[in-house]
Amino acid sequence: MDAGLLEQMLIGALLALSVYLPLRCGQLSLATPGFFAIGGTVAALLSTRIPIFAGTGATSPLPALLLEMTLAGLLAGLLALAIGGTVLRLRGIYLAIATIALVEILRVITLNLSFTGGALGIFGIPQPFTTTAGYAGFTLVLLALVCWLCARLEQLRLGRAMAAIRDDELAAACVGIDTAQVKLQAFVLSALLAGLTGALAAHFLNSWNAKVGSFDASITTLAFVVFGGSRTWLGPVIGGLVLSALPELLRPVGDLRLIVFGLVILLGPVLFPQGLITPQGLQGLGHRLLGYGQQLRGYGHKLLVRVNGPRRP
Amino acid sequence: MSAAPLLEAVPLLQVEGLSCRFGGLLALNNVSLAVRQGEIFGLIGPNGAGKTTLFNVISALTPPSSGRVLWRGALIPASRPDQLSRLGLARTFQNLRLFDSLSVRDNVLVGLHRFAASPLAAGLLGSAGERRRQRQLEQRALELLALVALEDEADLPAASLPYGERRRLELARALATEPQLLLLDEPAAGMNPAEKNDLCGLIRTIRDRFDLTVMIIEHHVPLMMRLCDRLAVLNFGERIALGSPAAVRQDPRVIEAYLGSAR
Repeated sequence: MDAGLLEQMLIGALLALSVYLPLRCGQLSLATPGFFAIGGTVAALLSTRIPIFAGTGATSPLPALLLEMTLAGLLAGLLALAIGGTVLRLRGIYLAIATIALVEILRVITLNLSFTGGALGIFGIPQPFTTTAGYAGFTLVLLALVCWLCARLEQLRLGRAMAAIRDDELAAACVGIDTAQVKLQAFVLSALLAGLTGALAAHFLNSWNAKVGSFDASITTLAFVVFGGSRTWLGPVIGGLVLSALPELLRPVGDLRLIVFGLVILLGPVLFPQGLITPQGLQGLGHRLLGYGQQLRGYGHKLLVRVNGPRRP
Repeated sequence: MSAAPLLEAVPLLQVEGLSCRFGGLLALNNVSLAVRQGEIFGLIGPNGAGKTTLFNVISALTPPSSGRVLWRGALIPASRPDQLSRLGLARTFQNLRLFDSLSVRDNVLVGLHRFAASPLAAGLLGSAGERRRQRQLEQRALELLALVALEDEADLPAASLPYGERRRLELARALATEPQLLLLDEPAAGMNPAEKNDLCGLIRTIRDRFDLTVMIIEHHVPLMMRLCDRLAVLNFGERIALGSPAAVRQDPRVIEAYLGSAR
C-alpha cells in the first residue's frame, strides 16, 4: 500500500477519535477541524519562521516536531477550555451549529490574517522525515498510543462518567457527577488531540491553508464516527481508516467514486445503526473466534487419531 | 431537659412554605413538612397531587416558585443536583433512569463516582496504587449488588434486566453515593405483592444498615401504612394531613381525597 495513503488514513483515525471523545458523553461537537487547523497553523508558523524549529535545509529536527505538536495541542486545548464553558451549555443540534460556527470563524480569521498567508496559506513547511514511510511509522506509533489511552480512559472514572452522561445526563447529575465539568474535560481532550494531529499533518502536507478547517471537514470527520460507531474507541478508528482510504481506493471507477462514497456513508448507518463496531459485536466476535479455535482443536485431534490410531488406555 | 431530644429536634430536612407553579398550574401550594433523622417518611396522595414535584424541588431538579428547603436546619448551600448528591442526598426515579448501555456493575461504579477521584494521569498510566483503588471500588460495587441480590448479573448490560431487577439496581446505584437522605419515587410500581413485601424488608434493612433517613412516594397505601413511621398526604398540591399512619388513616380530609365526600 502507498505510504501516503496510509498516512492519510492514520490522520483520519486520529481525527475520528477527536470527534469521538465529546460524542462519548453525548456532545455532538463538530469543532475538530477547527482545532486541527489551529494546530497545523501553529506548526507551519513555527517551522517556517523560527530557525530552531526549521532546522537546516529542507529537513527539520524530530524534537522540534514533538515540541510543535505539544504547543499546538496546548493552544487548541486552551482555546477549548476558554470557549467550552459557554458553548457546552448548548445541547444536541444547537451545539453542533455553534461548533460549525467556530470552525467557520477560525477559517475566516486564518483567511484574512497576513501572517497566516491569507488564501494561499503557508508553503515549504520543512520535513522531519525524509520519506512518507517515516511519517506513516511515526503516526502509527502515535495512533497506537492514543488508542491505548482511550481504551484506558473508558475503564476509568472519567470514561464511565462520560458514558453515564450520554445515557442519562440528569441521572448522572443526581449521582454526584459534575456534568458540566466532565463535558468540558472531554471537549478539551478532543481539542488537544485535534491540535497535535494538525501539527503533524502540516508537515506531512508541506503546505497549510484555511481550507483545511472547513464545514466539509466537520461533516467528513463526523461521518468517520457515525460509520465506525461511537460506543468504543475502536469504532472511530476503523471508521477513520476506512472512510479516509475509500475516495482513493475508488479512483478506478472515475467520476462515480463520489457517488459510491456517498452511498457507503448513507448505507453505513442504515445497515449498522450503532456503527460498524459495537461492544456487543466485539463480544460476539470474540465468542465466535473462541468457537472456531475449539473447532480447529477438534479437527486437529481427529487428524491425530487418524494418523496414530486411537489411543489405548 | 436533656441534650439528646434537643439534638433530635433539628430535623434532617425541612420544607417551608414551598410553592411551585407551572404556568397556570399550582403543582405545590404552600407545603411545609419536616423529616426527622432516621425515620421512614411516606408521601401519599392521588395522581397529580404534586408528590414527584416535591421530590424534584428537594433534589434541585425543579426550582420552587417560593418557599425554601432546609438541610439540618440551614439553607442548602447548593443549587445543582450533583452538589446535593455530595451533601448526602440520593434519589430514584418514578420512570427508572438507569445508564442502559453500561453494565450492571458500571451503573453502581458510576454511583461511586465521588469516591473514585484520582489524578487523570495516574489513572491512565495505571499505577499500582491506582489499580488497588480500582479493585476496592469494584469490591464495594459487588457488595452493593449483593445487597439487592444482583451480584450474578454484574456483567450484563443494565438494559437487559427485567423490570423488578432494574428497580433494585437503581436503588443500589443510589446507595453507592452514600446518602444520608434517600428519596424513593414509587419503588414498588409494577411489582407483584410478594415483590412488594420483599422491597419493604429491603428498605428497612438498608435504613438500619446505612443509618439512613428515607422519604418514599408510593401508591400502595396498605404497604405505606406498614412501612412508614410518619406520612404526609398531598392533594392538588396541598398538604392535607401529616402524622402517624394510624392518625392519617382516620383523617376525614384524607378519606375525602381518596374516597370522595360522604355527602
